Amino acid sequence: MTELAQTVVLSLLVGGIYALVASGLTLIFGVMRVINIAHGAFLILGAFIAYTLWSQLGLDPLVGVVITTPIVFGLGWLIYRLLVRPIRNAPMSSTVLLTFGLALVVEGVMGEIWGNDSTAIRPSYVDQSFHIGGVFLPKAQVYGGLLAVVVLLALWAILTKTWLGRAIRAAAANPASAELVGIKVTSVAAVVFGLGLAAAGAGGAITGVLYSFLPGSHYLWIARLLAIVVLGGLGSLEGAVLSALIFGIAETVTAVYISPAWATAVPYAIVFFVLLIRPQGLLGTRLRDDVVAA
Amino acid sequence: MSRAAEPAPPEPPAYDLIWVGRGIALVAAVLLVLYPILSDDLYYQNMIIFSLVFAIAASGLSIITGLAGYVSLGQGAFIGLGGYTVGVLATRHPDTNVWLWMPLAGVTAGLVALILGFVALRARGPSFVIITVAFLFLVQVIAINLPSLTGGTAGLSLPIPTWDPDIANWPFYYTLVGILALQLLLTWWIRRTKLGTGLVAIREDETKAATIGINLPVEKMIAFVASSVLVGVAGGVYGYYLTFIDPRGMFNILLSVETMLALLVGGKATLWGPVLGAFIVEPLNEIANNDLGGGNTKLLIFGGLLVLIVLFLPQGVLPAIESLLSWSRTRGKAGLVGARIGTAGSLASLTGRLSLVERDPAVERPPLLEVTDLRKAFGGLKAVDGASLVVPEGSITGLIGPNGSGKTTLFNLIDRTIHADGGEIRLAGERIDGLSSWARAHRGLGRTYQITRLFREMTVLENVVAAQRSFSWGQLGRIAVSGPEARAAEELLEYVGMRAFRDQKASALSYGQQKLVELAQVLMLDPRLILLDEPAGGINPVLIGRMSEMIRELNSYGKTFLIVEHNMPFVLGLCDPVHVLGRGRTMASGTPAEIQQDPAVVDAYLGDDFVLEAADVADEPQEATK
Repeated sequence: MTELAQTVVLSLLVGGIYALVASGLTLIFGVMRVINIAHGAFLILGAFIAYTLWSQLGLDPLVGVVITTPIVFGLGWLIYRLLVRPIRNAPMSSTVLLTFGLALVVEGVMGEIWGNDSTAIRPSYVDQSFHIGGVFLPKAQVYGGLLAVVVLLALWAILTKTWLGRAIRAAAANPASAELVGIKVTSVAAVVFGLGLAAAGAGGAITGVLYSFLPGSHYLWIARLLAIVVLGGLGSLEGAVLSALIFGIAETVTAVYISPAWATAVPYAIVFFVLLIRPQGLLGTRLRDDVVAA
Repeated sequence: MSRAAEPAPPEPPAYDLIWVGRGIALVAAVLLVLYPILSDDLYYQNMIIFSLVFAIAASGLSIITGLAGYVSLGQGAFIGLGGYTVGVLATRHPDTNVWLWMPLAGVTAGLVALILGFVALRARGPSFVIITVAFLFLVQVIAINLPSLTGGTAGLSLPIPTWDPDIANWPFYYTLVGILALQLLLTWWIRRTKLGTGLVAIREDETKAATIGINLPVEKMIAFVASSVLVGVAGGVYGYYLTFIDPRGMFNILLSVETMLALLVGGKATLWGPVLGAFIVEPLNEIANNDLGGGNTKLLIFGGLLVLIVLFLPQGVLPAIESLLSWSRTRGKAGLVGARIGTAGSLASLTGRLSLVERDPAVERPPLLEVTDLRKAFGGLKAVDGASLVVPEGSITGLIGPNGSGKTTLFNLIDRTIHADGGEIRLAGERIDGLSSWARAHRGLGRTYQITRLFREMTVLENVVAAQRSFSWGQLGRIAVSGPEARAAEELLEYVGMRAFRDQKASALSYGQQKLVELAQVLMLDPRLILLDEPAGGINPVLIGRMSEMIRELNSYGKTFLIVEHNMPFVLGLCDPVHVLGRGRTMASGTPAEIQQDPAVVDAYLGDDFVLEAADVADEPQEATK
């Protein structure tokens, strides 16, 4: 029973981190219909930046989120301006290929800078745990999960409470009309791309404390993230959060009760079954076919 | 466009250019075949062998990605599956000749493609890409986790070839050349058939493709299997050539990336592009591996190339060269698209295609289309809310109603562009509400769109040829680009007055011209019932006149029409009976005269100052043509 309780709490904490990163991915899709395959790569980049801040300056990686996040935001903003914007009207598969290429480039650059060996961030509390009624909760997991929730709430507040958030939602609902009421959609899109990647970067700094990583880890992450947003319904923020929690549980339970080797297969299996049974995901909606101009 | 009253004859195709291209291909093929005999440089033989594998994979990929528009990043998995089929069988039966397993590698790849297709082809666009990547990783995880079958991460060692070491590479080399030839033949043949035009139609507009009779799942599935079988065989040869296979190598995503790059670099919708691309990309890969430190450099080159291609050369090298040449050829000449539309067509020439129906006006006409209590809600909005109407056989029935009353949605439900929530639809007595769009088209339902939906990248002729009257395997294999199919399409284009435009891309046409081509496209189905969504909307008065003339003429040949239109003189002059739709329900039905008197209709739609005598042509706002 305590093992189960522990598994559930831990998987919810992990789910919170997934939710943060997946929100960024689904936000980018919702506003600009771009599936950012490089999302996992920027997560790993966030982890490496946090690693450098920690190993060179002794900055705690979780505190370092304050620096990591703006850096990745800036990169995202720049990438949108330089690469995504020129092809914003091309078919969606073009942006998939573009961001896939981008992921390979980021992987290669990270390999050149930080090497292709497994890297870990190990602050002092990494081996300590909280003990609550027989349940062991590693401090890193607790701090990381809580921080992820805080950043996620901040993102949510930006989207719902600010003028920028309203502009973003307007641009997502109808870009042409948003232009007409004075929203500069491409500027909004650049900010969204930055915000989305920043969520990945923040998530990377957090997961860097929990798991070791190398440049090639981004494939595993993008598979996991895509599974989450596909399950939740592409473009749905609430769906992404919900399915991230489900996903955290499914993955942890598979690892604990079946075998860690098969836990890596969970995302792929989920993608298959969701798209087979309910292609629009949990909270996604099908679009009216006839309103899509030919 | 004041110069020509008659449209200039279409530009003769540049035959000399085609022959130059064929000459180059022939020389390259001869060099390829002779190379191992002329040179025993193993480094380059090795490079060519790898290039051949990717050329086969990319040419296969051009069927599902280039023609059908489904971008797959799982193509490398079929190389791996082929390699593993041969690897597993060869290690278990060490006394059997390894070459005997090669066909089985193709069978495995084809079967997996078929199974994957059931899942993957339900998804469109980006979801399909995601699934193919997930598929690749899933196969890799399975290969790692089943060591008893695959040797797990330790991999499998295949038997070392026993033939004369002097010609060590020849069997691999020439087998791959042969497979490439077969793959190119297959790709070339598919491109010329009805299947090929169907696939391009799917790429351009899948929903529309279904309404002109294209059986989406079957045709996509054929394409998917056809794009993988020979790749599996090539993968088997590749695995044998390597003599060692492991999951990280055989199911590496970079195999898929390299295949995709070869396709994109060369030109994804061309026959020779994938081959050219493979022979550009694979040598780059070798250089990156041997001279630039491999690993990260390779990632930078592949990733960077992918980004640059998508940004700057989305068409690929071959189409870029082609458009450059055609630009220099046609520079300074006026285009055809502004020319006048022909008016010469007569139905008499079409009697082979359109069945003539003898009709006795005295006999009560049976209903051809019966819609009963049809419903569709979008969230809380009830767009169609219990609509019922009857279209008598041989009639020109009108459907009018205020904007937002559900007319187009009703059309979409009738041809299953969208799925109804409830209600019954019968065509000639048979219930069709459970049928797919293409099955409805095969039973005689044709439909045009308010905002025309031609396949923009296809020529006018291809647009018409793409329609499929019925489904049969034999028909899919029929050649579409010439012969009887093309002739039939040309006759229809002649009839609507658009024959002179047959080789123009649909995207170059004006809105009115597109309406005419869309009509010809629908006629290619030889439908019993034609649904026209605002045939007179947004086109000039002369064309409106011609349109109603054609509708009458086709009607006299037995075609039944259901027409949505806001141009009241047009509707009330042409249609009988007329149904009026309001708030998703049929609020009135009757002859034009009765409709004009109906107080509810006058109140909801026509307005009390409506008089038909003001029968000038349409003064309604022009439709945005985008």
